[in-house]
Amino acid sequence: MPELLRAEALTTDLGRRAGFLRPAVSLRAVDGVTLSIAEGEAFGVVGESGCGKTTLARTLLGLQREAAGEITLAGRRVSGLAPAEARRLRADIQYVHQDPGAALDPWWRVGATLDEGLRIHGVGDAAERAARIAEMLAAVGLDADFGQRYPHELSGGQQRRIGLARILLLRPKLVILDEPTAGLDLSVQASVLRLLAELRARFGLTYLFISHDLTVVRRVCDRVAVMYLGQVVEEGPAEALFARPAHPYTRALLAAAPHLDGRAAGPSLPGEPPSLRRIPAGCRFHPRCTRASALCAAQTPPTEAAGPAHHVACHHWREAA
Amino acid sequence: MRSSSEPEVTDAALTIEDLAVQLRSRGEVADILDGITLTVPRGSVTGVVGESGCGKSTLLRAILGILPGRATTPRGRILFEGRDILPARAAKPHGRIGFVPQDPYLSLNPVFRAGDQILEIMRRHAPGTRAEHRVKLVELFRAVQLPDPEAALHKYPHQFSGGQRQRLLIAAALCCDPALIVADEPTTALDVTTQREILGLLRELVRARGLSMLFVTHDFGVLASLCDEVSVLYAGRVAESGPTRAVLDTPTHPYTRMLLSCHPDRAVELLGIPGAVPPATAQPAGCRFHPRCPVAQPDCRSEVPPLLPWPGGRAVACPHTARMEAHALA
Ligand SMILES: Nc1ncnc2c1ncn2[C@@H]1O[C@H](COP(=O)(O)OP(=O)(O)OP(=O)(O)O)[C@@H](O)[C@H]1O
Ligand SMILES: Nc1ncnc2c1ncn2[C@@H]1O[C@H](COP(=O)(O)OP(=O)(O)OP(=O)(O)O)[C@@H](O)[C@H]1O
Ligand code: SF4
Ligand SMILES: [Mg+2]
Ligand SMILES: [Mg+2]
Repeated sequence: MPELLRAEALTTDLGRRAGFLRPAVSLRAVDGVTLSIAEGEAFGVVGESGCGKTTLARTLLGLQREAAGEITLAGRRVSGLAPAEARRLRADIQYVHQDPGAALDPWWRVGATLDEGLRIHGVGDAAERAARIAEMLAAVGLDADFGQRYPHELSGGQQRRIGLARILLLRPKLVILDEPTAGLDLSVQASVLRLLAELRARFGLTYLFISHDLTVVRRVCDRVAVMYLGQVVEEGPAEALFARPAHPYTRALLAAAPHLDGRAAGPSLPGEPPSLRRIPAGCRFHPRCTRASALCAAQTPPTEAAGPAHHVACHHWREAA
Repeated sequence: MRSSSEPEVTDAALTIEDLAVQLRSRGEVADILDGITLTVPRGSVTGVVGESGCGKSTLLRAILGILPGRATTPRGRILFEGRDILPARAAKPHGRIGFVPQDPYLSLNPVFRAGDQILEIMRRHAPGTRAEHRVKLVELFRAVQLPDPEAALHKYPHQFSGGQRQRLLIAAALCCDPALIVADEPTTALDVTTQREILGLLRELVRARGLSMLFVTHDFGVLASLCDEVSVLYAGRVAESGPTRAVLDTPTHPYTRMLLSCHPDRAVELLGIPGAVPPATAQPAGCRFHPRCPVAQPDCRSEVPPLLPWPGGRAVACPHTARMEAHALA
C-alpha cells in the first residue's frame, strides 16, 4: 500500500500562558516523532494521559504548528505553512474529537450542524446536502429523524455516531479518531467499533486511532505506536507488538491492562505517570524502568529494528525477558 | 441494656433483600431499582457490574443513606452489622461504611487542605482528639502509600496527581475504621498503570485489615482482577449473580452472555446488543431485557422472571437459558 501520511522528526511546542511578571514558558509535547501511515491502514497510538497523543493529532491536522520536522501527505510536503494554509491543504484529514459532545453546538439541531459543515466545504445545493446527510445518517446506523434532535437528546453512542457522520460527510481520506470509545458501555463500544470497521471498508478510509485502551487497539489496528513523554518508544505491526513487546514500557502497559481471564499480570510499574514539565535525562522512562542501568540515565537510547517494520528505542531491549 | 432490635447473627458484612428505589419527578415515577438482592460475604469483595444508567450509583446511595429527597423505597431491607439501615429513622452507620467515589478530581474541595477535609470527617464520626486523629491519618497515608505522608497533611488537592488523589480518598474512606467499603468505579478516571496500582492497594487493604467491599464497575477486566463474587445488573434488577470466575467463564443469563460477547478480549465478531437500555421512567413489563433478547418468549413480556438459585452458588433471573444454549450454537 502506498504511504498516505508521513511525519519525520516532528516536534511541537505548546505555549504556556505567562504569569504576572513571568516569562512565557513552552512545553515540548511532541518531540521528534517519526511515523508512516499506509493508505487503508488502521494505525494506533497508545500511551498514558498527557503523553502528547492529542497534540500529535493536532499537529498532523495543521491545527498546531510544528516547531521542527516535516509532514508529507500523499507525497506532498505540507509542513512549514501558516496554520490556515496548512489546514486547507490538509482537508483530506479530518478529526473526530475526544469529547463528541464538545464538537456539537448545543443550540443547534444536529441536522443543522451537519448541513453547516457541508456548506462550509462548498456544497452549495441544498437538495444535494440533504441527500448526503440522509445517506450518511443511514451509514452510521441512525434514522433520518435524528437530524431533528438536539445534542443533549442523544446518548453517548449516538453522539459518537453523529460525530462520525459529520466528519465522513466531508469525504476525508484519513480520519483521526481521538479516544473514540472512551466512556462507552461495552455493548455500545462494540457497535461503534463494528461501525468503524464497516465505514473503513465501504469508504476506503485510513484511520489514526488514538486510545489508551489496549484491548481495543489490539482488536482494531494493523500497526501501533507507543508514546511516552512526547516520543515514540516502540512502533510495529500490532500482532508482533502485542505478542513480543520489545520496550519495557510497552510490556508494563500490557501487563497493567486488566483481562477477562484475570490472568496474573507481571510486575507493576513503579512511580507516578511522568510530566512533560520534568523530563528525565537519558532514557525518559528510566526512573520507572525495572531494567534501567547507568547507561539509561546518561544516554538517550537509539531507535533500532526489533523485527520486520518493528522499531524500539531502548538500550536493553535485546535482554528481553 | 438490650435494645429492642437485637442484631441478627450472620456471616455477611452486608445483605440487601428485595430492595426497590423509585424517584418521582413531575408526575412520572422512575423505577430505578426493583428487587435487588445481594450479599457481601465478610472479608471478600463483591462486584456490581452493569451498563450506564442501570442503577449502580443509586444502589450505593441507598446503602450510604444518601438517596435524594424525592426517592422512595417501597420495599426492601439493607442489613448491616445485623440491623436494617434502610428506614429513614434507622441509625446511619456513619464511618462504619467507607465510601470511595468515582472521580478523584471532583471529590475534594480545592480550597481546603486535603488533610483538613479528612480530619473534619474524623472529628464528626470517630472517637479521639484532633492530635490522635492526625497521628492516625499519617499512618493511613502511609498505608495507602502516599509519598511523604507527613507533608501530605498540609497539601492542597491540586498538589496531588490523579492516582495520589485516589489514594487520599481511599485513606478518607478508611479514616473511621469501617467494616465495609463501598466504591463507585474508583479507577475509571485513571490510566491503566495507575489503575493497576490502586486495584493492588485495595486488594491488599481488604486482606490486611479484614475489610469487606462492594465494588461498582462497568469494566469486566477490573471485575475479574478484583472481585470474588459478582451481581450483574440490568435496568435496575439483578440478571445474574455468583462467583466471578464462574459467571465470566459460563455466563448464563442472555444479557450477560451477549454483554460478554461484546468484550474485545472475547468477541469473535463485535456485534453489540441491538436496542438500548430503557429509560428508568419507561421500564418494559415482564423481563426488562425482553425487547433486546434473542430468545424472548411470550411469557417474558408479562411475567417478571424471579432470581432463581443455580448450581455452584449462582442465581439467574431467566427461565429460558436453555434456549440461549441452542441460540448460541445456531
Ligand atoms: N494548550 C496547551 N498549552 C499548554 N500545555 C498543554 C496544552 N494542551 C495540552 N497541554 C499539555 O501538553 C501535554 C500533552 O497533552 P495531550 O493532550 O497531547 O496529551 P494526551 O496524550 O492526548 O492525553 P490524554 O490521554 O489525557 O488525552 C499535557 O501535559 C498537557 O497538560
Ligand atoms: N435525580 C434523578 N432523577 C431522575 N432519574 C434519575 C436521577 N438520578 C438518576 N436517575 C436515573 O436513574 C437511573 C440509574 O442511575 P444511576 O446513576 O444509579 O446509574 P449508574 O448505573 O450509576 O450509571 P453510570 O454507570 O452512568 O454511573 C438512570 O436511568 C438515571 O437516568
Ligand atoms: S533504555 Fe534503559 S531505562 Fe529506558 S526502557 Fe530501556 S532499559 Fe529501561
Ligand atoms: Mg488526548
Ligand atoms: Mg454511576
